[in-house]
Amino acid sequence: MTVKLVKVTPKVERYPEYEELDWVIAHGLGVDHTADITSFSQTIAQAGSIKGIETYYYMRYDDSPERNYIPMAFYTVLGKPKVPVLLHEEVEPVGELFKVIAVFSSSLLLQKTAQRALLFDGAKKDAILLVNTSITTDDVVRLVKKYNLAQDWFGKVVTISAAKIDSAIAYPMLGALARGWDRIDLDSILTALDVLGKEKKKESVRKGYEAASVKEVHVLAEETEMFKKIKREVELPEFTGEFWTPEVYYAYQKAAAEAQTYPSRIATMPRWEVLAPGLIEFGPQPGKRNLGFTTPWRWQRPIIDMNKCTDCKLCHYYCPDGAIDFAPIKVDYDYCKGCGTCEKVCPVKAIKMVPEIEYLEGLRDEEVLRRFEQREYGF
Amino acid sequence: MSAIKPIPPVAIEKPKAKVWNGARAIAEAVKVADVDVIAAYPIRPYTGIMNSLASMIANGEFTADIIVADSEHSQFEVVKHASAVGARVFAGSSGVGLAFAAEPIIVTALSQLPVVAAIGTRALDDPGNFGMEWSDALMFRDFGWLISWAKTVQEAADMTLVAYRVAEDRRVLLPHFIALDGAAITHVATPVVPVTKQQATEFLPPYRPPYRIDPQDGPVTKAQHIAPSLIGPEQRKTIDVAQKRSKQVIAEAWKDFAKYTGREYPPFLETIGMEDAEFALIGMGAYMKDIELVASRLRSKGYKVGTVRLRYVRPFPAEELINALGGVKAAGVIEFGYSFGSPFGTGSLYHEVATSLYEADTKPTLLDFLFLGGREPTVEHFTQLAEKVIESAHKKPQKKTYWLTLRGEDI
Repeated sequence: MTVKLVKVTPKVERYPEYEELDWVIAHGLGVDHTADITSFSQTIAQAGSIKGIETYYYMRYDDSPERNYIPMAFYTVLGKPKVPVLLHEEVEPVGELFKVIAVFSSSLLLQKTAQRALLFDGAKKDAILLVNTSITTDDVVRLVKKYNLAQDWFGKVVTISAAKIDSAIAYPMLGALARGWDRIDLDSILTALDVLGKEKKKESVRKGYEAASVKEVHVLAEETEMFKKIKREVELPEFTGEFWTPEVYYAYQKAAAEAQTYPSRIATMPRWEVLAPGLIEFGPQPGKRNLGFTTPWRWQRPIIDMNKCTDCKLCHYYCPDGAIDFAPIKVDYDYCKGCGTCEKVCPVKAIKMVPEIEYLEGLRDEEVLRRFEQREYGF
Repeated sequence: MSAIKPIPPVAIEKPKAKVWNGARAIAEAVKVADVDVIAAYPIRPYTGIMNSLASMIANGEFTADIIVADSEHSQFEVVKHASAVGARVFAGSSGVGLAFAAEPIIVTALSQLPVVAAIGTRALDDPGNFGMEWSDALMFRDFGWLISWAKTVQEAADMTLVAYRVAEDRRVLLPHFIALDGAAITHVATPVVPVTKQQATEFLPPYRPPYRIDPQDGPVTKAQHIAPSLIGPEQRKTIDVAQKRSKQVIAEAWKDFAKYTGREYPPFLETIGMEDAEFALIGMGAYMKDIELVASRLRSKGYKVGTVRLRYVRPFPAEELINALGGVKAAGVIEFGYSFGSPFGTGSLYHEVATSLYEADTKPTLLDFLFLGGREPTVEHFTQLAEKVIESAHKKPQKKTYWLTLRGEDI
């Protein structure tokens, strides 16, 4: 078996037919945010409709957001398309489409959304980034620059700590959106809520409008520190032989992991010829773990209080992903999916599941950055 | 008088024929195939097979894990998983039992597990119709299973061994149904020459899956989550290619089978009198014996009638069928399955034959004869339909499909 590397360059296409449209993409975590993202998109669509704009909204189907915490997205489209639009950024490379990028959980801000598109993939140059977070707009901009989330971005950042206003975070988010974006104003959102029979939520929208902070941003490509490191080329192993072997399989996995940019996963999935009968995937190599493709789903993380830990190793044995090493007990956050099993089985309650957001935002900026560097987000 | 030279002993030790019904013959074939795991759940007419297997195991004739499941669904789940860990398995069912087991049956093919299962074909009830119809087996036409159809008890037993050989071939690795016409094969006892244990062992090497789920072989994942964007079409293509490759493997296997047992079968189509035939009767299964009888009677009257019997539905031998039907003026498809609301109200086998003939240079007039609802046909019916086929060659037929055995007007 020889493994030959083949270069694949993903191309990004533009869609002239879509230029007149305003797309809103809302990112959230499956189940937790499904209802809120739906309300958010529905209300924007209704508000647009009230203003006489043709609108529609739909979910990114491939996410299967019925699974807890899987990153999911909804699209809302405002304007009359020249051709019928149904965008699946998974399948089609996207052009500059998104006017608004709404992020319902700041834990998604730095994570690749579902390890597929980066947050700003498909964004317009003047995109508005709306984040539900307690960190400041300045912090958001700094993270965007630091982790190369956007290049040549001349838009706005709107932040809102929505959960402090309403547990249904969609409504403060809508207020904040109206604050930052003139196409959908506050009045039309409030009217839309009347139409949708959600009059009670008007107050949350107003509060959100007032509490939101807006900052205009200019991010040039050169400013982003890791710009040069971005990989747009993916190296794929070529196969020969009957079926794929662990060797080829691991080469694919490695290529997938190295190809951090969209559409990495698609480009690095194998051709049908190499698939072993019955779609076998091989286990980890001796002494190694499988690549943690689902790690970005984690919304909470186990923190172990070593003063309480009796080193009983129950968490090690119960961890469904084998993400906890022992001697001493230590969580490998590259593989932990945040399921919380370890917390449940710990007899001395030494393990606490800390929400990822809280963990992130409980630290001040230098620590936040250091943490992300450690985890080697970015490239 | 000079001394008569003694006849040398034959090279192949010929086992004595036994008189077995189809169920018993299949069970005996499973026995010599050295099957590890059998899952069973009774439903007529399949039940006889599991009964025979169970009594054989109870009598200590062979060793296998037989698991009587709580339903057909569990039954097919059991064999699916047993196959995944590397066991040679056997299951089977009939009619609505198969319908209930549809989910594991379909994923068995997608997981490329070489499960071999017998179908005693049975009408899909309600209300309790246990007659012979093909709809249950043909229900699984589209999901990657190989499907073969036996004419005689002997062929059914032989097909079982060949099924393992084909299914477990690394070029194929697909599950395999052996369709036995309910009652006509399963419940009818005829002389059968059994395949001996030695012949079976030589013909059928032990099952060695390329990737079995076993700690010894290192960790592998089977049936993992597949998002459509990741491995959707690729999985389907893998199955598709395995089906296409299976044609070569089937031909090889039957050739090899003849070598070990001395019994020769044409791999895909059994044609009788098709060399000069002007009229063809196309069908499958046990009733082909009656149809062949009708054809030979008509031949003695001067009509050039031939018969074409399909031995495999999946993979469908389209090229072979086109070749066999070249030069035929009119042909009739005789079948026991139907698709309600289908084009021209034709049956499932007709669709396959017509689709194949669409690519043929010359197309015969094609009629469809349906025996539905499980009522048993007679030679009289087959004679009627053969006469209709002969008539259609020079006189345009008024209709395409004929429901035989029907009481009331066939509109």
